[in-house]
Amino acid sequence: MTDFRLQVQRFNPTTDEEPKMVEYSVPRREGMTVLDALLYARDYLDHSIAVRFSCRQASCGSCGMKINGRPRLACYTQVEELGDEKVVAQPMDNFEIIKDLVTDLESFFSKHREVMPYLIRSDSHEIDHPSGEYLMKPEELDKVLQFTYCIKCGLCTSSCPTVGTDSLFPGPQALAQGYRYLTDERDEGGKRRLEALDTAHGVWRCHFAGSCSAVCPKGVDPALGIQLLKRHVLGGKAPREEGAPVWRQDAAEAPAQK
Amino acid sequence: MRESRLMLVQYVTAVLAVFLVSIHLFMQGVLNTYDTAISFNNILSVYQNGLYATFLEALLVVTLVHGFDGVRVILHEWRQTAPWSRWVDIGTILAIVISVGYGTRTVILAVLG
Amino acid sequence: MLSSTSKGAERAKNKRGIRGWINPYHYNLERWAYMFQRVTGVAILLYLLGHLGDTSFFVGGPTGTGPSPSGWSFIGSIFENPFGHLILVLLVLVLFFHGMNGIRLILAEFGLILKKPGAIEYPYEAKSLGLGQKYLFWLGLTVAVIGAVWAFMIIFEGWL
Repeated sequence: MTDFRLQVQRFNPTTDEEPKMVEYSVPRREGMTVLDALLYARDYLDHSIAVRFSCRQASCGSCGMKINGRPRLACYTQVEELGDEKVVAQPMDNFEIIKDLVTDLESFFSKHREVMPYLIRSDSHEIDHPSGEYLMKPEELDKVLQFTYCIKCGLCTSSCPTVGTDSLFPGPQALAQGYRYLTDERDEGGKRRLEALDTAHGVWRCHFAGSCSAVCPKGVDPALGIQLLKRHVLGGKAPREEGAPVWRQDAAEAPAQK
Repeated sequence: MRESRLMLVQYVTAVLAVFLVSIHLFMQGVLNTYDTAISFNNILSVYQNGLYATFLEALLVVTLVHGFDGVRVILHEWRQTAPWSRWVDIGTILAIVISVGYGTRTVILAVLG
Repeated sequence: MLSSTSKGAERAKNKRGIRGWINPYHYNLERWAYMFQRVTGVAILLYLLGHLGDTSFFVGGPTGTGPSPSGWSFIGSIFENPFGHLILVLLVLVLFFHGMNGIRLILAEFGLILKKPGAIEYPYEAKSLGLGQKYLFWLGLTVAVIGAVWAFMIIFEGWL
């Protein structure tokens, strides 16, 4: 099998002013992913390449990077599917570079925290001393299911054109999770969530370029969540009031919802 | 709720603009031939029609508000420092007031004859 | 987080910047539509401001006091030529695209033409990027081109 060219962006911000592209010749192997190629280059050709990875099966979200111009997971991208003469690996856009292909995800996680990605309920005694589970009907789960598949890989935020310039914009991942919790039948924090999102740099700076959904490896489709969120923000009414009945474990059937 | 109010304005002016601009183009090129539509006497006579003058004024306001609000969004996304954000908002309002004012002056002077 | 004094600190921030929204290469159709919507919007606004200026010559320009045939023929001498007419045809092209794409965006941003969320299967076709609204984009582009051709035939009538 022939070798192919792997170009890796090398950049150490503490010693370099500008990144440079370094090329490696990697032997092709059937079923080889870009991560395989990078690890081959690191193991045999240049031990100083910095690359972050973990599960190698598209479930941890660690290996997000820009491959041939588009954000992808390295472990989930076959060299063959790129079809080009060369494979170009660069760190994800819009994330601060730590070294080479490794980026800093701290601002990404802090934006996620800002949308309060947990259930907010008013029955605080129950929260602290739970007597049982909160249940969901299958159709209620369907409303949020695909958004729960997010693995926080950051590809969507990297591809978003607004994130490129607007540092106050939460990004598609955080907004989609905001929608996920707003629509969750067990959540009562609607009003707080809507207020947090209805700002000059909140949900309205999304213009449905759709790149987030185009690059998401898990089918979360954040663009869908964000457009559905806009309706709620515009209306200003939370989907459920505080204290709305929730299906509890010991109830015979689910309470009637509005 | 404020930003969503502004976005509502953007959406409403968008839909109105589609109608009003279509009517304007229809009158300028389909109802009359283009050369007739832009002739001095034709314009003078349509301005004497109160409904048409009102229509032009509405077109002016709707399109300028929509356009400058759009540019406001682009500029807000570009930089987020406090002075920039404040001046973008002030500048947008000023731009709308000045351009609507100038266009309204044309309409009024034309109507007064 | 890096110290701001390290050599590559600015480049390390790695922000895509304005390039991010102007350059949609490698991305999906809707991203191209977003870029064109912005560019056509700014272009139309600039034309609109110019249009306010040139139509004011009907009343004699910034210093005028009322309907002025001389003012009007003055501005006509500048703009009523093939070049000016071509600008108008291009304007119709971008205007129709901006309007039709804008309608698509309004429908999509209120979820009216998007599929409902639910269970998903590999290969994970995004529900928001479905055929329905891709067709609306192409319809918008088609209407824009047809409109521009029609405008050309109307404006250049004497020349055809």
